[in-house]
Amino acid sequence: MATATLGNGDPTLQASERQMVLPTNLLTGIILAALGYYVGVQIGNGFGFNDGLNTGVLLGYTFGSVMFLVGLGFANYPLARLFGWPIAPQSSGDEYRGAWRYLNLSLDHKVIGVQYLVAMLMAMFFGGVGAMLIRTSLLSPDQLVVPPDKYLVLVSMHSVMMVFVASAAIVGPFGNFFVPYMIGTNRMAFPRLEALSFWLVPPAIVILLAAPLFGGFPTGWTGYTPLSEQAGQGFDSYIVGFALIGIALCVSGVNMLTTIISLRAPGMTWTRLPIFVWGVFSASILGTFAAPILASALIMQGFDRSMNTSFFISSNGGSPYLWENLFWFFGHPEVYIFILPAFGIVLELIPHFARKPLWGYRTAVVGLLGVTLLSWFVWQHHLFVSGIAPALRPFYMFSTEMISIPTGIVFLVAFGTLWRAKLSLTVPMLFCLGFLFNFLIGGLSGVFLSDVPSDVTLHGSYFSMAHFHFTIVGGEIFAIIAAIYYWFPKMTGRMLNTRLGKIHFWWMMIAFNLAFMPLFAAGILDMPRRVSTYAPSLQALNQWVSFWAYLLFASMLLFAVNVIWSWFFNAKLAPADPWHARSIEWLLPTPLPRRNFERIPTFTSGPYDYGNPSPRPAVDLSPEPAPA
Amino acid sequence: MVARGNNRGMTRLVVLVLTVGILSALVALFIGGFVIRVPESLTASPATVAQGSTPAQNAFIHLETVASVNTAITFPRPDDPHPTWVSYLPTTILKVPANSTVTMQIDQEDTPSGLRNPFWSQAFGIEGGTFHMTYFDDKGNPQEGDFSSIPDPATAAHTFAIPDLGVFVPLEGVNAAAPAGSMNVITFSFKTGKPGVYHWQCFVPCGSGTIYGNGGPMQTLGYMAGFLVVQ
Amino acid sequence: MIRPNRTHALRLLVAWAVLSVIGVVIGLQLSLPPGSQSQQSIEQSWLLKLMTLISTPVFVGVVLYILYAVFAFRQRRGVLEDGPPSYGNIRIQVAWVAITAVVVFILAGVGISELDAAATGTNFTSSNAPALATSGSVGTTEGHALQVQVIAQQWSFTYRYADYSGVESLHLVLPVNANVVLHVTSTDILHSFWAYQLGVKADANPGVDNVTYVTTLQTGSFTVRCAELCGIWHGNMSDTNGAVVSQADFATWIAQLQKDNLSIPVPSYAPYYFPSPRVKGT
Repeated sequence: MATATLGNGDPTLQASERQMVLPTNLLTGIILAALGYYVGVQIGNGFGFNDGLNTGVLLGYTFGSVMFLVGLGFANYPLARLFGWPIAPQSSGDEYRGAWRYLNLSLDHKVIGVQYLVAMLMAMFFGGVGAMLIRTSLLSPDQLVVPPDKYLVLVSMHSVMMVFVASAAIVGPFGNFFVPYMIGTNRMAFPRLEALSFWLVPPAIVILLAAPLFGGFPTGWTGYTPLSEQAGQGFDSYIVGFALIGIALCVSGVNMLTTIISLRAPGMTWTRLPIFVWGVFSASILGTFAAPILASALIMQGFDRSMNTSFFISSNGGSPYLWENLFWFFGHPEVYIFILPAFGIVLELIPHFARKPLWGYRTAVVGLLGVTLLSWFVWQHHLFVSGIAPALRPFYMFSTEMISIPTGIVFLVAFGTLWRAKLSLTVPMLFCLGFLFNFLIGGLSGVFLSDVPSDVTLHGSYFSMAHFHFTIVGGEIFAIIAAIYYWFPKMTGRMLNTRLGKIHFWWMMIAFNLAFMPLFAAGILDMPRRVSTYAPSLQALNQWVSFWAYLLFASMLLFAVNVIWSWFFNAKLAPADPWHARSIEWLLPTPLPRRNFERIPTFTSGPYDYGNPSPRPAVDLSPEPAPA
Repeated sequence: MVARGNNRGMTRLVVLVLTVGILSALVALFIGGFVIRVPESLTASPATVAQGSTPAQNAFIHLETVASVNTAITFPRPDDPHPTWVSYLPTTILKVPANSTVTMQIDQEDTPSGLRNPFWSQAFGIEGGTFHMTYFDDKGNPQEGDFSSIPDPATAAHTFAIPDLGVFVPLEGVNAAAPAGSMNVITFSFKTGKPGVYHWQCFVPCGSGTIYGNGGPMQTLGYMAGFLVVQ
Repeated sequence: MIRPNRTHALRLLVAWAVLSVIGVVIGLQLSLPPGSQSQQSIEQSWLLKLMTLISTPVFVGVVLYILYAVFAFRQRRGVLEDGPPSYGNIRIQVAWVAITAVVVFILAGVGISELDAAATGTNFTSSNAPALATSGSVGTTEGHALQVQVIAQQWSFTYRYADYSGVESLHLVLPVNANVVLHVTSTDILHSFWAYQLGVKADANPGVDNVTYVTTLQTGSFTVRCAELCGIWHGNMSDTNGAVVSQADFATWIAQLQKDNLSIPVPSYAPYYFPSPRVKGT
């Protein structure tokens, strides 16, 4: 039961129960969501076009999501402000005990980080099951295992689910959990926005998983019109689900940017900021400004489907080009939202396991910000063969190839840190090194695709598909796993099993590369993307890929076993600083206290102060200020 | 201390088993939804008249095309999830023997929709280059004859096309002047070669209510999209 | 043993040079798709090869460095020592950025000049249209290239020959040694016309005339596939019967096609066609 107290936690004031019709918690949220969905469908079917079918589903999902958030308790504070009720202080979710804290609205960034972690892993699991079905269906060019209409539904589900995961899987769990620690503050700037950005994710996932019940949608994650407008009600899931994720991105970005800019502790200057925070910062810039474009474009598609508008229907004056451009103007910064936090993680972890300072810190920051800036100017490279004005192609080819310069800076900085280091090949470090290898291949293949004449053969083929799987899975997912192994002791108080971790790494690395490397060949050999059948000469290649893909999934199951066992069935507490690292989160005890810092700390050096013959402590954590 | 630890471990184990169980059930449902195929397939019946010595076999398939499933005459499908959809009946997954001549009879009951590309008003890839059609003229009188194309592309209701085998046959729509419940019967033959799975489709955008007419039933197996399984 | 920087650097450099040379030599032996059936495919194969050759030293260098670091710069067993406190080296940082920038500029320059040359399978302004390959070619008069319209529909391509009163065909047949202008359009949704061996890909957009060029150099067959997701039969929307034939064969073929087309009501040729979106069948 949410309670209201007067003032800001002033103990002399009495707590008083606020008058609420319903207690606000997850169950209320689910019930209100179902109610909201039903009401929305009834209203929509009443006045929409096309028998109101699409309007009904769109309104149903929208009302359902809003009522879900209301049921969770997001409306409490705004309503209290509006009606002058006594306002609860910034609660940390203390009214719940144990696991229930994680299943309800909590304003504690640590709780939100863990909620995000579990949600992301679950969504990744569903996406992975979809991927296994896809590869099973591709074992033979005959389409009798998964028929082509359902195949496209499957591909679309897998891709959109994985996009949901990739857009939030680093900033969500680790950004929310650790950025306040790294900058020395007790909370984020807007805890309710932070909670909102998380709680938008479960409705989005549920809406996406509900798509097959309405026939699914056949467009893949790019949602191209006019095929999308030919699709049935399943496509409305895409519109609302993706819009929710877009809002979550924007909201999370605003929160993260404000926190990093405004709430840094004394001594935490911009040049002492851990590089992970810079990665989150640059991704948040992109999220804040790119996501609204997505949401607007999705709303336009929603109108086309429900209100007989013609934004994207050429015979009525609209244009499919409009969607392509709007989508990719968001879509390209989106993929940099995927990878910038991953760069942040890899460059954060390498210094600690090399026991050397981050080499070329300022250059690394320039690299990250350079990628952020350039990512706005490259989106037409997805449209090279779409019939865009010819004069545009040289510019976008140039800008796309230019973006490999700041990306190369990331490798430079990593290499400089590895030079003459004292490397410990712990499991997180192994995944970082794997990242470097995989992202190298992904990045080089991107150069092939950026060159317009060669893109003529490679666009829309499995080459492009292998490129983004190497960068996203081989890049971002490897970084996420590294971060999980690294920060698991601090987030959960338990160590992940090291031996299982090393097996996981080698198994995953080998399976991933053997599965996805041949797909470059498939693309060059005339296999388009998103097809359920192919030339019989490519069957052996596809069977090889499917075999290794199964093994890749199995390695992730091993990881799941490791995580579940270590988290819930291993009573042994992790040491406070298992990696002997010098950044602030490792200087704090495990398990972390509910309140981050009794007194806001003062930072006296950067987090990578290794090799210094007389190191100062990175931060002054004493509960009393030092005497003047 | 020990007892409390055991209880917590027990609870966690139970929660884990339950979660894994529910998840597995969900995953099985998910997979099943994609893999389990509806509709059933139709195996060609042996033709009653053996024609010539080669090819070795002759096979016969009888289909019906309807404006909506609930007005079907020859092959009613009562429990259909989309009773108002245009469809080929009884199914769209057809099994025929390899290296044989397949004769198809299509009871066409739908009214004209019109070809978007008049090129498809010609017949390709069928035996003798002609199909036999019984139809109704503008006065409502029954007629029949052999045609190599339909005279007016705007009167097409559907087509039956197997692009990978080069077979394209336009299906004339029932004239408005014809008596209610009439059908045009189109008969033609084509040869199959080596075994394989081929797709077949209609080239009339007959999925009404969908953008450009190619959504809904046009992209759902069992209605206007199908396979020819040559075994 | 603590080795000086120079030892590590020299070892790495030598190993990198040797492996790169081996890699480049192997790369030079590769013959990459799409082949040599058209001028466009020759250009693309050449560019793909160039990029493979440039990528090889980069790939070798990075992998070599990582492996070397893992073996040479390890923490000693049972000890927890720090590495040297080096925060950067301006000269190396500048040199790296400069070298990558130079490579990128060179690559971009080569790519742009390829685009500019009037012989790639991409959209061009008509002033850059390729000149006649040979005079007296079938179907092409002096200064006029063969105009072929590619109509994409769900789920097949058909082709209309504008120079021959718009006759329509199910398979794309082109004369050899000819400049062909392809007008790609769609009658319903987005598709993409991909003629693999010819090195041509152009999206088919309803209501748009997407122009691309191909100059055929060798006879042979080519495969046409759809490269933009267009619904259920997207993967099946392929045709292995595309052919580049001799000029004489093309003349015979097109004459036969014109005779066959007399019996069907071919609509007038238009640069693009608008389908009516919501009315059944029109």
